[in-house]
Amino acid sequence: MSSRYDVVVIGAGHNGLTTAAYLAKTGKKVVVVDGRDTVGGLATGEEFHPGYRTAGVLHDTTKVRKWVIDDLELRKHGLETRKAAPPAFIPQVDGPGYLHFRDPRAAQKEIEAHSQQDAESYRQYRAFLRKISPIFQSLFDEPPAATENLGIADFWDLGKRALSLRMLGKTDMMEIFRIVPMCVADWVNEWFESEILRVAVAGPAIFNTMTGPWSPGSNLNLLMSEILFESAVAGGPAALTSALEKAARAQGVEIRTGAAVTHIKVAEGKVEGVSLANGEALEADQVAASCHPKHLFLDLLPTRALPIQFEQNLLNYRSRGVVAKINLALNGYPQFRCRPDFQPEIVRTGEHIDDLERAFDPAKYRMFSVVPVLVIWAPTVENPSLAPSGHHVFSIQAHFAPYDLEGGWSDARKEEFFEAAMSVLNGYAPGIEQYIVAAEVSSPVDLEDRYGVTGGHLHHGEHAIDQLVVRPVPECSRYRTPFEGLFLCGSGSHPGGGITCAPGALAARAMQGD
Amino acid sequence: MPIPTPFHSRTSELCYSLAWKDWAGYYTVSSYDTSHESEYYALRHSAGLIDMTPLFKYEVHGPDAAAFLSRMTVKDLHKLKVGRVTYLCWCDDDGKVIDDGTVSCLDENYFRVTAAEPSLSWFDRQSRGYDVTIEDSTARIATLSLQGPTSRDLLSGVVNTDMEALRFFGVVRCRLDGTEVWISRTGYTGDLGYEIWVDSNHAERLYDSVMAAGQPYDLLPCGLDAMDVTRIEAGFIMNGVDYHSANHCLIEEQKSSPYELGLGWAVQLDRETFTGQAALRKEKAAGSKRTFVGLDVDWAEVEAAFDKFGLPPELPAHGWRDGRPVYDDNQNWIGQATSGVWSPTLKKNLALAQVATPFAKVGTRVQFEITVENRRQVVGATVVTTPFFNPPRKRS
Repeated sequence: MSSRYDVVVIGAGHNGLTTAAYLAKTGKKVVVVDGRDTVGGLATGEEFHPGYRTAGVLHDTTKVRKWVIDDLELRKHGLETRKAAPPAFIPQVDGPGYLHFRDPRAAQKEIEAHSQQDAESYRQYRAFLRKISPIFQSLFDEPPAATENLGIADFWDLGKRALSLRMLGKTDMMEIFRIVPMCVADWVNEWFESEILRVAVAGPAIFNTMTGPWSPGSNLNLLMSEILFESAVAGGPAALTSALEKAARAQGVEIRTGAAVTHIKVAEGKVEGVSLANGEALEADQVAASCHPKHLFLDLLPTRALPIQFEQNLLNYRSRGVVAKINLALNGYPQFRCRPDFQPEIVRTGEHIDDLERAFDPAKYRMFSVVPVLVIWAPTVENPSLAPSGHHVFSIQAHFAPYDLEGGWSDARKEEFFEAAMSVLNGYAPGIEQYIVAAEVSSPVDLEDRYGVTGGHLHHGEHAIDQLVVRPVPECSRYRTPFEGLFLCGSGSHPGGGITCAPGALAARAMQGD
Repeated sequence: MPIPTPFHSRTSELCYSLAWKDWAGYYTVSSYDTSHESEYYALRHSAGLIDMTPLFKYEVHGPDAAAFLSRMTVKDLHKLKVGRVTYLCWCDDDGKVIDDGTVSCLDENYFRVTAAEPSLSWFDRQSRGYDVTIEDSTARIATLSLQGPTSRDLLSGVVNTDMEALRFFGVVRCRLDGTEVWISRTGYTGDLGYEIWVDSNHAERLYDSVMAAGQPYDLLPCGLDAMDVTRIEAGFIMNGVDYHSANHCLIEEQKSSPYELGLGWAVQLDRETFTGQAALRKEKAAGSKRTFVGLDVDWAEVEAAFDKFGLPPELPAHGWRDGRPVYDDNQNWIGQATSGVWSPTLKKNLALAQVATPFAKVGTRVQFEITVENRRQVVGATVVTTPFFNPPRKRS
């Protein structure tokens, strides 16, 4: 049995849906196929215990591109953004804790409780980021610059980019060259004297990456995270997925779940379609893959079809997941000792930069953190309907739990890591275990099995300077691949992972050009 | 510092010239005598014995061995039967040669590959998805090359197999004076000859057996200098001399395709995907810019060039390896000669060269650069077919 489409999109995550919706808008007949039974991939809610739902393996929706929301008219399909993103709470064992607002005015009181001077430094920090952000935004919101086989248009493009950098003035331009490859710890130490503010600012640089705050290059992740910030989606990733799904369907996109792709058909270097696990064949002139690039090329294409250098570059693409996902079903909101009546939506542990580094250290040696760093999202604070009345859900990204754990992941090792994470939480919220109704722990290996992300890496490959400048490998850094008609459109392509919808949208643009 | 080969205890006793050279990290003999002349004549008139252990060897085992080698090299090795050897090269994605060597099919799902360069990582890289194991057996297996017109008769007296039955490019497992060996009818001299492959632990015993059996056949241990003369006479290219592995080249021009090296006959294009296939297809269709040729340098003109300075002509008795420019009649550069030698058997001044394809036709006159008293001279040369020397006994 076979059916014909203009475009087959592999993967119904936020990027796959974005690509599909964009292409369907231009009149293409598009089908999205996903091996899982639900749409949304890492950006969807799931019931992990009867009556308790999460709202996404990924948490952060503040980087969804505004222009994608506008282009796809997602607001018409139910998407709402929040006035302000929820602040992150960093509890302390001895101390009042710190609630990190993005806006310096909102943050002033909280910062002053720790350092008078840092309140002013933070204002300056924000002002500096505002100044440099246009140049970075243009990098993230445009396809990557061509680096091979340059034509006149490419030189024009490179020239424009160089000019916009130069227009910042010599001082700021040199400052950008200086700060991008830095380690984030050094950079925040330059700005701030209070350790808690340093850790609050630096945290996003290391989340979901094989990186500690003292790792060179970690600062680029921070800059990316700061500069891509737009506004949070109400309801989190699950709500975004729902709006994207509606927008795509409204454009006539067919979405098929429970339809795993087993291989991609190519002949004479040209893509012809995909085969599904049920034996069905879908023919198409274009195939866009939002799945992990390693999965696409190393699992779905015939082994012998890849040029050797290309295959080697792919094998070298680093994608070693470091996050275990812990979902807690709670029968109430636990009490944080430093602010007993406060029920924050986002909580991050680690009071010192070196707490983050110490948590990271063992990951290098394929061991998990003794004292994990937790990024906790309680989606029930915004949306109580995810749990029974008065109950709560903690969706936790627990760092660092390396994919290739020495001796391998087993139930016993997961339990051990879970205990370590709980002991961290217990230090801030004593007695939390009495609230726990159920817990689900997923190692990076589990995440790989469940979501098809090679290495269990939630960004579809490490965020590091080399893998962000050319992503994933030189032969397909601009969405096109060595196979005619086959495109990348997921987090493994520019500008990278997290929920931005930018890879999906930029890939669709590249595909329209063909 | 180079290390000794498993034959060192024997070769070092014989090498009274102390003319050693480093070949792939091993001590090997350039010439046992102070001149390689007698060794050359042994190879062409009786028999010579060369320690070839440093030649890189790889054992490829597994159900996918033939498929893997067919993907990696330019030949379809599904067709290679047990007991047969084939010569080939392998390329990168752009169809440029990485290395050349032989592949022997020793058993079902068992091949041995020889290479001029360390190749394990290159092989390994291409083996993803193939059920094979690849072993670098260079140190584990010692190799002797027994070459020359009397080599067959010599071996017939010491092996438990019929040497007449071992055809050109055949390989057989047998015992040589009781030692387990592989014998292949292959070599680098372009003559009747054999290569003997043995477990390194039994290398000395094998050496002694062959030397003893060789006495009535005027067997002489030979060094690499003598072999170099014979391999040029045979028109055999050498990696690092006549071409450079694409992996080491700094610019495109330094790379060569199989077509440019005279190995086009080995390329089997119409089959399952192999590394370099697309690029080689294109080159085959479009034609190659350069072609590999033999040059016969005009002796009278060489003589005259030296005579101008009142000097007798110099014979390149040793193979030379420094590249030399080749020009057309108007002194336009058209290519380079990469190695050459005076052939004592043919009495000719020979060179191997890559020239622009329009000049590759047999009989074309080109100009060849030599240096006399540090001054550049050009002398005439004629494009000729290779092998320069191709005796019927090679295949008999």
